[in-house]
Amino acid sequence: MSDPVPLTTDHPGQVASATPPAPGRSRHLSDRWLAVAFISPALLLLLAMSVFPLLWALYLSFTDYSATRGGPAHFIWFGNYTAILASAQVHLRALTTLIYVVGAVALQTALGFSIAYLISRRTHGRGLLTTLFLVPMMLSPVVVGLFWRFMLDAQFGVINSMLGSLGLGQVEWLTRQRTALISLIVVDTWQWTPFIMLIALAGLTAVPKYLYEAASIDRASEWFRFRTITLPLVWPLLLIAVLFRAIEAFRLFDLVYILTSGGPGVSTETLSFHVYKVAFLGFNTGTASAYGILMVLVVIVLTQLYLRYLNKLKED
Amino acid sequence: MPYPKRIGPGRKVRLATAAMLVATTMAACGQDDSANSSAPKAPATIPELTKDPLTLSFIWFDWPPAHALEAFANAEYTKERPNVTIKVKTVPNANWHDAMFTQFAAHKTDFDIPILDSQHIGEAVTNGNILDITDFVKKNIDVKAYNPYLLAAYGQYPQAETGKRDENASLYGLPLLGDTWTMIYRKDLIGDKPPQTWDEMISVAEKCQADHPGVSGLAFHQANGSDAAAVTYNTVNGIYGGNLWDAKTRKIEGVLNDAAGQEAMDVLVNKMKPLTAKGSGNWFIDEVNAAVAQGKACIAFNWIAASGGLLDPKQSTLGTTREQILDKLGFATLPSGKTNLVPLGGMGMHVSAYSPKANQAEALNFMKWFERADIQKKWAAAGGVPSRTDALASPEFLNAGPFNQVYADSVPRMRDMWNVPEYARLVDIENTNVNAALNGAKKPKDALDDIAREQQSVLDSSGRKGGGGL
Repeated sequence: MSDPVPLTTDHPGQVASATPPAPGRSRHLSDRWLAVAFISPALLLLLAMSVFPLLWALYLSFTDYSATRGGPAHFIWFGNYTAILASAQVHLRALTTLIYVVGAVALQTALGFSIAYLISRRTHGRGLLTTLFLVPMMLSPVVVGLFWRFMLDAQFGVINSMLGSLGLGQVEWLTRQRTALISLIVVDTWQWTPFIMLIALAGLTAVPKYLYEAASIDRASEWFRFRTITLPLVWPLLLIAVLFRAIEAFRLFDLVYILTSGGPGVSTETLSFHVYKVAFLGFNTGTASAYGILMVLVVIVLTQLYLRYLNKLKED
Repeated sequence: MPYPKRIGPGRKVRLATAAMLVATTMAACGQDDSANSSAPKAPATIPELTKDPLTLSFIWFDWPPAHALEAFANAEYTKERPNVTIKVKTVPNANWHDAMFTQFAAHKTDFDIPILDSQHIGEAVTNGNILDITDFVKKNIDVKAYNPYLLAAYGQYPQAETGKRDENASLYGLPLLGDTWTMIYRKDLIGDKPPQTWDEMISVAEKCQADHPGVSGLAFHQANGSDAAAVTYNTVNGIYGGNLWDAKTRKIEGVLNDAAGQEAMDVLVNKMKPLTAKGSGNWFIDEVNAAVAQGKACIAFNWIAASGGLLDPKQSTLGTTREQILDKLGFATLPSGKTNLVPLGGMGMHVSAYSPKANQAEALNFMKWFERADIQKKWAAAGGVPSRTDALASPEFLNAGPFNQVYADSVPRMRDMWNVPEYARLVDIENTNVNAALNGAKKPKDALDDIAREQQSVLDSSGRKGGGGL
């Protein structure tokens, strides 16, 4: 007499694959093949739309290929990579992008968390307030860029009109070096602060109430409660939101394209905007591919460092 | 607790997948090896045209002449070819080059007739994107009916010398819409007589601005998108006797930034810019028109083909009728300086090398029809700017708009930019640097020297290994 099949196992996956096919199913169609059949359309789509273009871009990045000039792609190995890394033009765009990412994400985090904290303390109308705050995030960046461009117009814009009514002078928001970058940061902050707010609000509402009750019994001050209960519990979640926003801000293109076209001069040209110019103005496909790959690598490395910090934080 | 054993595709399956991806990639990359890199030839005689319904598609940027062309062609061309519908596809001006050339790159276009800026010709010809129509023109077009430079500017490659045409050079397009800058001035503020010289124009604008608070002395293109700021500098450069390059030796450094070029940049940044409205550093066609229509500028410069809306009382605060507006607005040719050069605008029509044969035949037939003397006059009456000399002198054209005489007078004075394959990068370098100088992000001399150095590097970079386009 054979041993009975155990009801539980340490290898659940193996049990699943050993399960005989249901009645009516082909004997050859095991659960494993059925699983493969179900995931293969998504897998093929992923291969066609993401993996293949990435591999192709990787191949092109080692060549002098141009999409419009045609002809064979000649291998130049790391020629594109060394040229990009040594280019003063690229260094300038990297600095602009860094200032933008740090400025925008820091402002959004401070504002987003503050708004979430204030909303979380309300008992009435919290849902309505949250929904209203989320509206900017639901708009297309192109639409946001266009109406902010009108609002920031030095001659006809509503912002300067309001400043004028307060007795202040006109500001050239989009055509001066400093104000143009600040304007980009402000517009991005207007649109994406709700994202940070939403994540922070989720974290804040998940903080167990009994901790606050215990702190109240101990007559802890508001600031003490915030510093020792709220912030440590919300911080890891907030950092994830910051990570998402930093990656998004790093590849900013649309707002720059609509609001400043990278100007004045190239002072608001971000790395993504520069890649666009390399790719489509001269159709230097090989260089643009290398540029894109390098940007992906930067994001991956920074994300890994960030995630390690986040894990360390959780362990602590 | 031990971890469950990982279930997934075996090593062989993973290797096979990777090999398949690499093979597919290599196969895809090799597909262009046989790509033709020179423009294919159009037949000298128009092939037999189809009797089936056919849509002839153009691509242009979104502005009034594009809509005028579609309406005109559907009204007139269909009288002779009732089975044909004309569709003018439009894209935003800033995307115009990209919209055409990304489709060219795919070797498949959803348009039959790309309307190229004159400077795009080199890139399109070198890449084999448009048909060589030299034989077609010889057999079907009366070339003597045109000012030679207009015919050359919108179709010839390699580029013609300014004001001339090389009869032995190949032609790749025919004129569709002529254009140049007009000076728009406020007759009620500076008088009926327009300034005749560039220096006089600046001093008149200065006085007008001082006498009329809230109205700026000048309005012109300064944006860093498209070719806005670049055309402005090139215009002033020409007037002060400068040159954009030496076409024969392909030299820009030392030519563009010579003494004349420096003087032009100095005049533009230090004399003209202070007379413009605050925050006008990103103005292009629409913003300049808005300033004029709202009575906020004494003197403005804009393309003639984009000036029609200024006479529309619905869009203007200068009057409730066209006549009232014309009492206040005058249109004149550009003032002269050391030379009387004006910028060549407008576009030519070309035939996509990737269009189906039936559509290419129809496109050639349309071009032949469009360049007929009677059709050119009708196009003028419909609001277009023709290129045939007889049409330019016709009452249909001269009476169609107050700025048309300006165009007719400007034709012998025109100068174009470079139409080399590197045009898109050259113009971007010039645009961003002139825009930087106009908005205080760079000193004028530094900006001009940077333009010359960077443009020269683009022209010299053909043998460079890696980093092209940076």
